[in-house]
Amino acid sequence: MTTSEHPLLQLKGVGKRFGGVVALRDVDLSVRAGQVQVLLGENGAGKSTLVKMIAGVHEPDTGSIEIDGRPVRITSTRDAESHGIATIHQELNLVPTLSVAENITLGRTPSRLGLVDRRGMRKLAQEALDRIGLSVDLDRKVGTLGIARQQLVEIAKALSVDARILILDEPTAALTRTEIAQLFTVVNQLRDHGVGMVFISHHLDEIAEIGDTVTVLRDGAFVDEVPASTPEPELIRLMVGRSIEQLFPRRRPDLGEVLLQVKGLSSEGRFDDVSLQVRRGEVVGLAGLVGAGRTELLRAISGADNYDSGTVAVGGRQVPRHDVAAGVALGLGHVPEDRKTQGLVLGASVEDNVGYATLRSHARGPLADLAGQRRRAHQVSEQLRIRLNDVRQPVRSLSGGNQQKVVFGRWTLAGSQVLLLDEPTRGVDVGAKVEIYELINAVTEAGGAVLLASSELPEVLGMSDRILVMAGGRIVGELTADEATQDSVMSLAVKEVESTRVH
Amino acid sequence: MNSITRRSLALSLAGVLALATTACNRGDDAADDGAGATSGGGEGGQTITLAVSTLNNPFFITLRDGAQEAADAAGATLEVVDAQNDAATQQNQLANAATQGVDAVIINPVDSEAAAAAVTPVLDGDIPVIAVDRSVEGKDVNSTVSSDNVAGGKQAAEALAEAMGGKGKVIVLQGVAGTSASRDRGKGFEEGIAAFPDIEVVAMQPANFDRAQGLDVATNLLESNADVTGIFAENDEMALGALQALGDRAGQDVFVVGFDGTEDGLKAVADGTMVATIAQQPAELGKVAVEQALKAINGEELPAQQPVEVVTVTEDNVADFQ
Amino acid sequence: MSTETTTPAKPARTSRQRLGQFLSDNGALVGLVVVVVAMFIATPDFLTTTNLLNVGVQAAVVAILAFGMTYVIVAAGIDLSVGSVAALSAVSAGWIVGQGMPGALGLVAGPLVGLLAGLLSGLATAYGKLPSFIATLAMLSVARGLTLVISGGRPQSMPDEISWLGSRVLGVPVPILVTLVMFAITAFVLNRTVFGRSLYAVGGNEEAARLSGLAVKKLTAAVFALSGLYAGIAGMVLAGRLSSAQPQAAVGYELDAIAAVVIGGASLSGGQGRATGTLIGALVLAVIRNGLNLLNVSSFWQQVVIGLVIALAVGIDVLRRKTS
Repeated sequence: MTTSEHPLLQLKGVGKRFGGVVALRDVDLSVRAGQVQVLLGENGAGKSTLVKMIAGVHEPDTGSIEIDGRPVRITSTRDAESHGIATIHQELNLVPTLSVAENITLGRTPSRLGLVDRRGMRKLAQEALDRIGLSVDLDRKVGTLGIARQQLVEIAKALSVDARILILDEPTAALTRTEIAQLFTVVNQLRDHGVGMVFISHHLDEIAEIGDTVTVLRDGAFVDEVPASTPEPELIRLMVGRSIEQLFPRRRPDLGEVLLQVKGLSSEGRFDDVSLQVRRGEVVGLAGLVGAGRTELLRAISGADNYDSGTVAVGGRQVPRHDVAAGVALGLGHVPEDRKTQGLVLGASVEDNVGYATLRSHARGPLADLAGQRRRAHQVSEQLRIRLNDVRQPVRSLSGGNQQKVVFGRWTLAGSQVLLLDEPTRGVDVGAKVEIYELINAVTEAGGAVLLASSELPEVLGMSDRILVMAGGRIVGELTADEATQDSVMSLAVKEVESTRVH
Repeated sequence: MNSITRRSLALSLAGVLALATTACNRGDDAADDGAGATSGGGEGGQTITLAVSTLNNPFFITLRDGAQEAADAAGATLEVVDAQNDAATQQNQLANAATQGVDAVIINPVDSEAAAAAVTPVLDGDIPVIAVDRSVEGKDVNSTVSSDNVAGGKQAAEALAEAMGGKGKVIVLQGVAGTSASRDRGKGFEEGIAAFPDIEVVAMQPANFDRAQGLDVATNLLESNADVTGIFAENDEMALGALQALGDRAGQDVFVVGFDGTEDGLKAVADGTMVATIAQQPAELGKVAVEQALKAINGEELPAQQPVEVVTVTEDNVADFQ
Repeated sequence: MSTETTTPAKPARTSRQRLGQFLSDNGALVGLVVVVVAMFIATPDFLTTTNLLNVGVQAAVVAILAFGMTYVIVAAGIDLSVGSVAALSAVSAGWIVGQGMPGALGLVAGPLVGLLAGLLSGLATAYGKLPSFIATLAMLSVARGLTLVISGGRPQSMPDEISWLGSRVLGVPVPILVTLVMFAITAFVLNRTVFGRSLYAVGGNEEAARLSGLAVKKLTAAVFALSGLYAGIAGMVLAGRLSSAQPQAAVGYELDAIAAVVIGGASLSGGQGRATGTLIGALVLAVIRNGLNLLNVSSFWQQVVIGLVIALAVGIDVLRRKTS
């Protein structure tokens, strides 16, 4: 362990305003060599503003930044680079159509007489990969790699410019358990090499696993710095500002008749012979590894994608295949995996977004019922406690949790009885997560049925009444809420992967 | 691979053209025999390519018809290609003609300067080239058959001045900037109008040889120059637009002179709304061009310039042209 | 409760903020005012009733094309064929009348031909999965070609029923009236109908619209059909003004129409655009062209000026959006 007197990087009392809004005030943060400093806070707490200060995107209005105990100004990303600071953003900065080697050396491609020096380039790239112990074909197009590998390539690229300080902004958000383990191995190696790291994550369980110290932010202000071994409920209390008694407040109503019935659904290359049923009042969880076919299955049931054979019925009435509108009319509501690219029209208003599914059904002839839509948008945003100033404001300006509630609101308005939820709390704060779980409770209490797919196992375990485990496009097991544990689900999920995985 | 693609491209191009030609003829009562001859005129053995700048303009259609008649009379085959006012297209078309090995090429350049490059492969293949209506600048072709646009501009100035009684204000509607037709006609008009000291040209604005633009630009210019009594348009299409802008005033308070002697233009002259048009004789141009081409094929020496008369058409002689 | 932040905007607004909001919603209007004032200062001939009516008439054809284009651009497409389709519609109408049919039939048939051409582009885009840029580029060429085939390359004379579109009613030029009617229809359809509201969703995020149960393919096909219909009507107005359908009419008008829509504040990436903005955009272009004539600016410079104004208008708009 190398621990010098001065932290590698220290921010003292930094603050930043954007127009009239204080994004950050009086925040301290120190990053030490060979340590992982976790940055914890809800969306909007100021984490990204802080990260952008370190990365040279924003300059602080107040306070100071010190590197090795000397005050510095970081006015551009180039400055940050020259101070040995590298940032891995959530959105990867790679060119998918270029090879691994080209990506790693992008911007400083070795050349001779104006021609690319291929051998030099491969040498540089190989060194970078060796440094984090990653083995991947240098000539492969980056776009053909999985997200996890792309991320590691990006880390290799960042470190190849001699970074001493590495900022990882939600690196695990899109990764599976095994991929996360691979990433953490690399992080541990870097720690041993004396790299100082800032780690941002929404997953509390990762903090104890990888972090050393935790800096908690709330509403743009510094709350506390605590050891990473701090128990989760305490971390949540610091982050949210109140204690949350129950992270998964599932209340189980009595079950009614079968509402959603799926029989022998198959789609070549995606899933095979899937049958399941969900009763009124029931939440059925769909667990499985990434690529197990959960998303594909939900999309097929909703009508978003076509399938080859099998049937879907709601309340005994068959839903025509590949026809979203028909599914909606029969009571299906689909909350897709990625709300930004599939769920919402970000530039459009909240009232428009909640109204899309009911535009036609509430119309008078060809005329849209705009006044009614506004009234209903008001009602539903109160009912779902969507925090906004005005139903006319663009959805883009809402936080992740409230955006997700807008998608829920659309199906509330449409009177959907069966909700197909695909990663309903991805990128959502703890506080808002609990509110979304309460929405799920409300749906089942009103006699609705929910099919919940999530890669967050604790969520599936905590909110489902029954759990179906998918692997390789098939349902490989069923567990009741009482008998299911992380281990029992995972052992089912990986069981058949090697033999039957479809791609 | 490449040559196959190019050949199939040329073939399909030829197919499209054949379709366009027959279809065009369908709209034209007088051209029935022409349509028949397009496919059957192989006896004389000579094939002549006529590369037209555009068939979007009645003038060039009449030119083509004149050429077709002359070719039919001589038993030659005339292949017509239309560059749709695109110099690059025309260059490709001439390259194709050179490859194809036709006996002579008649070019009606989209752009006089750009045509020099276009005719090079043809001349290099020892195929005679006749320019028609517009000249080829910077490359010597066998002969240039054209109306004298400068003289025509002068004639237009004289006709307009006479109608205006030798005094008053005039506006000019210009063609596409940079074309030789616009340049020469404008130049001739300026020279001609200079002989009338009491006539003043108060505005010159482009309307790009287009009727709708002629209407808009004339309307606007009449707004800023309410006391104008004469309008010279560098072609009939713009002149007809100007007539539209003038309404009842045309031929009464304001006198319009056009250029080209198109069907609609001649009709306006006959109606008395247009004072005069300078009739080129497009059919004559086409006919002379084909005759020159046939002479060139037979190895005869040709004059560098083969002028075709332009005629001032007024109410008095319009009947001869309709 | 949770600490999630929503938007920086405060409920209480100062008058300055309200002005800022107004300008940000009506950037094109500011542009129009600037151009008008500039022209007024440059030449006294500009601000006269007759000249303003002239500007209105000269804006009409592009404005009508641009209204149709607004639907397409809101739905995140592009229609390059409108100029050619306008010419095809007019020539078709002339041909029908030339066959001895009544003029009124021609007046109806022309726009229907436009509708059909647009529908074909729409089907190719929605169901044939061609990018709209390509589908309508093909239609641009096909429609122009058919125009030449039908007309034999010669202008077609127009019956009185169509020429009436170039006349005046109670002193007001008919092209202006048609433009106003088309404007009202477009604004109404975009703002108030299910169809119009759906377009903003399709243009803003096609996948989200589809997953909400909107019939994205049908909407897409309908959008292009509508654009074709508008092009047909524009073609009738153009032919009416000239009492003649020119086979080479409206060449390049699609670019003017696109410019008008974009000057009006629409985004080529879809989901944005209003009929008001488009009308103003078309007026900006017409005012500039008119003013350049009045000022007798040399033909060589006119194209430079028009290009710069388009770049400036859109550039200012982008800048304004960034700062607001």
